[in-house]
Amino acid sequence: MSNTTEHSFSLVITGAPYSSQAPQTALAFAEAVIAAGHRIDRVFLYGDGVHLASALIAPPSDEMNLPKLWSEFLAEHNIPAVACIASALRRGLVNEQEQKRYELSASNLLPAFEIAGLGEWVESTIKSTKTLYFHAGD
Amino acid sequence: MMSDFHTLHILNKTPDHPRFSECLGMSSSDDALLLTENGVLALTTSRVLGDRTVYALKSDLTARAIDTHQSNVGAIDYQGMVELSLKAKRVICW
Amino acid sequence: METLIVIDQAPYGSFAGREALDMAFSLAAFDQPASLLFTGAGVHWLRKGQAPDSIHQKSVEKNLSAAPIFGIEQLLVDSASCERFGLTVDDLPDGITLIDGNADMIGRYQNVLFAG
Repeated sequence: MSNTTEHSFSLVITGAPYSSQAPQTALAFAEAVIAAGHRIDRVFLYGDGVHLASALIAPPSDEMNLPKLWSEFLAEHNIPAVACIASALRRGLVNEQEQKRYELSASNLLPAFEIAGLGEWVESTIKSTKTLYFHAGD
Repeated sequence: MMSDFHTLHILNKTPDHPRFSECLGMSSSDDALLLTENGVLALTTSRVLGDRTVYALKSDLTARAIDTHQSNVGAIDYQGMVELSLKAKRVICW
Repeated sequence: METLIVIDQAPYGSFAGREALDMAFSLAAFDQPASLLFTGAGVHWLRKGQAPDSIHQKSVEKNLSAAPIFGIEQLLVDSASCERFGLTVDDLPDGITLIDGNADMIGRYQNVLFAG
């Protein structure tokens, strides 16, 4: 295997934390991508995957905190991460802007994530060498 | 170990999941199959994976106490998963 | 670089198919060719006469009829799955192409994906 060429990946996570293994598998894969000297263009949360961007997830202290681990990874490697707006609004995940727009009582989007449309996903799939999807198992 | 193939199929479902059969039905023997998460449980059944090149994620095998010593399955780590993904012309995540 | 989006779950009981349709419409909106393949329980999307008012949902039959307007290339359905669930050619809406969902068929697409 030659690492002389840098490749880039987009990762789409559709499985929710704590109800699927998807965010964990995706994180381990993402770490390996960086370790191999490649780039991650974007992480896109879709469907139930948007729950990963919630600031209100509080797992027991002896379990891994996936939103926190993902946030740290994204910040450390300066990787843009987007939660699909349509998926997010339906599932109660909003930033301050959407909170105001819909007059909701709170916002809960972690700072490592943005809320945007599927256009960001389309752009990623065009740009990246490979796009991988991390769905819920069973 | 890592032979040439066209499509890498990443399969994370148990053999009982409808998508498991769909994956086998829509892949050919020229493709490579990577079992992840509950997908590795396929190695415990007599289910025929065909003459496809089969890989499985080591961490998922270990977690579930699945042994691959008696089989032709290539146990790989996430680094190997990255390499396989890049080697494939196309990756399908089932 | 054509994309094939596979819908293998029945409508209404899960949202995955609807989100698959949104993905297809988005690709088309950005001039990326996209087709849909209904297979397995996904073929129930194609039943005529759906009236999901009874469960307070929007009709996917209507959503789907908008596919050509949104620029979706092809609507494909796996013939073996139709047979399994008792759908004949006459039962299918116009504009649906019956195919055999196999490696050769999906081999024509650079991207093959599921919404969830």
